[in-house]
Amino acid sequence: MSKPRVAFFDFASCEGCQLAIVNLEEAIIDVVGLIDIVSFREAMKEHSEDYDIAIIEGSITRPMDVERIKKIRAQAKILITIGACAHLGGVQRLANQWTPEENKAEVYHRHPGGTEHTTDANKFFNQPRQRAVDEVVKVDAAIPGCPINGTEFAKVLLALLQGKSLPIPDYPVCVECKKNENICVFELGKVCMGPVTRAGCDSACTNRGHECEGCRGLVSDPHMKAQTDVLEKYGLTADDILRRKTTFTYRYEEEAQAQKGGE
Amino acid sequence: MKILSKSGFAAFVNALIQDTSRDVEGVKAKGPKFVFGPLDSASELRLDYDVTILPPKKYVLPQYENMMKFDIAQGKMVMTEQPKGKIIIGVHPYDIAAIMQMDKFYLDTHVDDGYLARRKNILIIGSNIQNVSEKGFYGAMGTSTVDSGYDLFITDLGDSYAIDIGTEAGGQLLGAACQRDATPEEAQKAKSINDGVAERSRRDLRVKPSSWHDILKKSFDSPVWKEQADKCLVCNSCTLVCPTCFCYDVTDEISLDMNTGLRKRTWDGCMLRDFTSIGSGEVFRENVEDRYRHRFNRKGMYLPDGFGFVACVGCGRCATQCVPDIADPVNLFNKLAAGTTALLAEKQLAPVGVSDLGAASGKGPLFVPMPATMKRVDKLTEDETLFEIGLDNGQPMNYQPGQFVEVSVMGIGEAPISISSAPGRDTFQLVVRNVGDVTNALHAMKAGDKVGIRGPFGTGFDTEGLKGKNLLFIGGGLGIVPMRSFINYVLDHRDDYGQVTILYGCKDPDALLFKDEIEEWDRRDDIQHMRTVDTCVEEENWDGEVGVITTIMPLVTFDPANTIGVVVGPPIMYRFVNKSLLSMGMPEENIIVSLERRMKCGVGKCGHCQINGIYVCKEGPVFNYKDVKQHPEAFE
Repeated sequence: MSKPRVAFFDFASCEGCQLAIVNLEEAIIDVVGLIDIVSFREAMKEHSEDYDIAIIEGSITRPMDVERIKKIRAQAKILITIGACAHLGGVQRLANQWTPEENKAEVYHRHPGGTEHTTDANKFFNQPRQRAVDEVVKVDAAIPGCPINGTEFAKVLLALLQGKSLPIPDYPVCVECKKNENICVFELGKVCMGPVTRAGCDSACTNRGHECEGCRGLVSDPHMKAQTDVLEKYGLTADDILRRKTTFTYRYEEEAQAQKGGE
Repeated sequence: MKILSKSGFAAFVNALIQDTSRDVEGVKAKGPKFVFGPLDSASELRLDYDVTILPPKKYVLPQYENMMKFDIAQGKMVMTEQPKGKIIIGVHPYDIAAIMQMDKFYLDTHVDDGYLARRKNILIIGSNIQNVSEKGFYGAMGTSTVDSGYDLFITDLGDSYAIDIGTEAGGQLLGAACQRDATPEEAQKAKSINDGVAERSRRDLRVKPSSWHDILKKSFDSPVWKEQADKCLVCNSCTLVCPTCFCYDVTDEISLDMNTGLRKRTWDGCMLRDFTSIGSGEVFRENVEDRYRHRFNRKGMYLPDGFGFVACVGCGRCATQCVPDIADPVNLFNKLAAGTTALLAEKQLAPVGVSDLGAASGKGPLFVPMPATMKRVDKLTEDETLFEIGLDNGQPMNYQPGQFVEVSVMGIGEAPISISSAPGRDTFQLVVRNVGDVTNALHAMKAGDKVGIRGPFGTGFDTEGLKGKNLLFIGGGLGIVPMRSFINYVLDHRDDYGQVTILYGCKDPDALLFKDEIEEWDRRDDIQHMRTVDTCVEEENWDGEVGVITTIMPLVTFDPANTIGVVVGPPIMYRFVNKSLLSMGMPEENIIVSLERRMKCGVGKCGHCQINGIYVCKEGPVFNYKDVKQHPEAFE
């Protein structure tokens, strides 16, 4: 079997997920042994339009992004997204709470000299909403996280090559956090999204005493009501809770609103 | 009992650390909490701790454990080496009790040889409870003291330690470090220090452990389960930190060379949805309240029934970790007791353990499969394929119709699959539907490919006991697969059995399995046979009936009072078929069923396949209906 040809592409993102892959260092040499990387702007100069697997980082923002991702989808046999931006729309999705006009005013008009970039001639501001990749094209596998866990990326790649279901857990971060014998951050007086957030990060944040902010999205059957009750019990206001719940996961909020509107 | 000064004890511990033959682990501070971890020096030891975040269960059943390594190209599967032996210092009596329970469980019937090897190489130095944790209630559970289960047990007398030698290995470990025997006064002081803990660690548990069984039995339909479960985050923390929760999951991990890899065991928990889900998508405990109730029933009913101990030692870890505060057994049992009376029995169930680890022995690697080869691959339908398999050691499989094997595809995993052929041949046959990773991988195989086989496991059909009886086989969908092993056995020994009737129903004509054999059933005049499909279209030339299986039951003649009904099918089929059989006058003890659950280990350890307290893989999958009908989880 010839090695699958793999190309990386980035959309609205910090490119930190690709960096997480580059940071696999020695392991990356073995990963590279299994695939032919034909395009990876962050790590190499060469570029090819002939690929089997497309790996996408970033959210879909501008009309030109929509065109580009559709073209990639048409070429790729398998399309994998990496990171919270592509999976959920990223932190930038919070902008969807306001109109493009409001965002423009907030970001530029408050600063001297900012307005000159925001005339109607600037097509970057004709943006629709921030969207996850699977809201625009079909996605075969989404590796969640901000950034992704490089080890998980390698495992997903192996599973794809083996024809096995993807080893992305559907249980909460607490499972990994407990196995790592961390002090529960609730006991440290903080609040945490771990109980409803999909594991697979090996509880990277809580291992260091930080609260989980839910960058990997929710498990498929989250008990949000119980989680909200808990956050309230820990003294958060409704606003705090919404902010806490939506930093990375405003997508769910939008979907819930859309569902309500549709009823 | 010996006496050692505090400085003498520190020197003893430091000498153990210096001696590299075993790793030395002890209780240390982690921020404001405590954990068991590797000791660099005796000065790190915090014997004044209240409770550790995780119990020392992590040493006997680690969070992540390599069970086996494989090499696909070489077709090799071997056990991984056990890690170095360990000395664990500072284990409280309730945690010692929990380890004794685990020993009993893991060394019962099918001895987990990996566990045994590791456990034999662990020495436990227990410690008296100096500070009672806020949520601990071991005083109420009878586990604030233990009189065995440790190699050494130290009690802080103020300026020295009283050391009780529990085993010969413990005595050797202490060796020359300690010369002086305790005076009767010192021994008495140590005893009263330990006995005094119970009073301080009872909390307000109003239901004594020996009454947990009764109250749980009465409370199966209590509204308390749902009330509590509605507040549950379903995070599974309660089971992970529990010293007496020891269910696990197994996965294969292949390395980047795509050839070698490891089969790994990791902690699982019955609060998670995936715990009871199977390849076809069925989830046997879908509601959170069912999972929440199972957790307590296992502790208070199922393990007491099966193993003689209440699987809770009162450490209070679950209560500490549960953010919505619903996991605490004290609160739960007090809530259940609010509506009942007369529950305050005095007798406590003492922890039961294995007294002599040295005497326990396994029959060989329990979890390493036997190499086997695909002899024939025969696609039966769009989704189902028949695999004929022979063991590479040349031996025939020795099994009963109705038993199952665990099939391994190296790097992918292991799946339980019923044997579909009658015994007595060199090879055996499996019929597999393509529903999950392992079955997908099997479907890509051809004759000559290698698989691993463990088993046979479970109970089969009682071919001897049923001799001379009239048999009515009722198979639905894939139920015909395990049933076929028994049908063919009966046909091989036709004279040994009475009247034989076979009813077979499936979704549509395309789903019909074993078409050649069915034609043979039609031809034979010593059996009755009818078949039906749920739906079909005219073009399919279907020559059987149309309708669910219960519609053809009245169309055959049999004497319900003198016939054994053998029923195998999807969960929903049992409800209707069993009801029909009973209403026709078949005594319930005449109905035999085979139940499907998520069987993972095959030997009653991993916990996934439980129907209430029954381990389906060990006590089933073949059951007499009267033995399982009282279990609400069996047919609902």
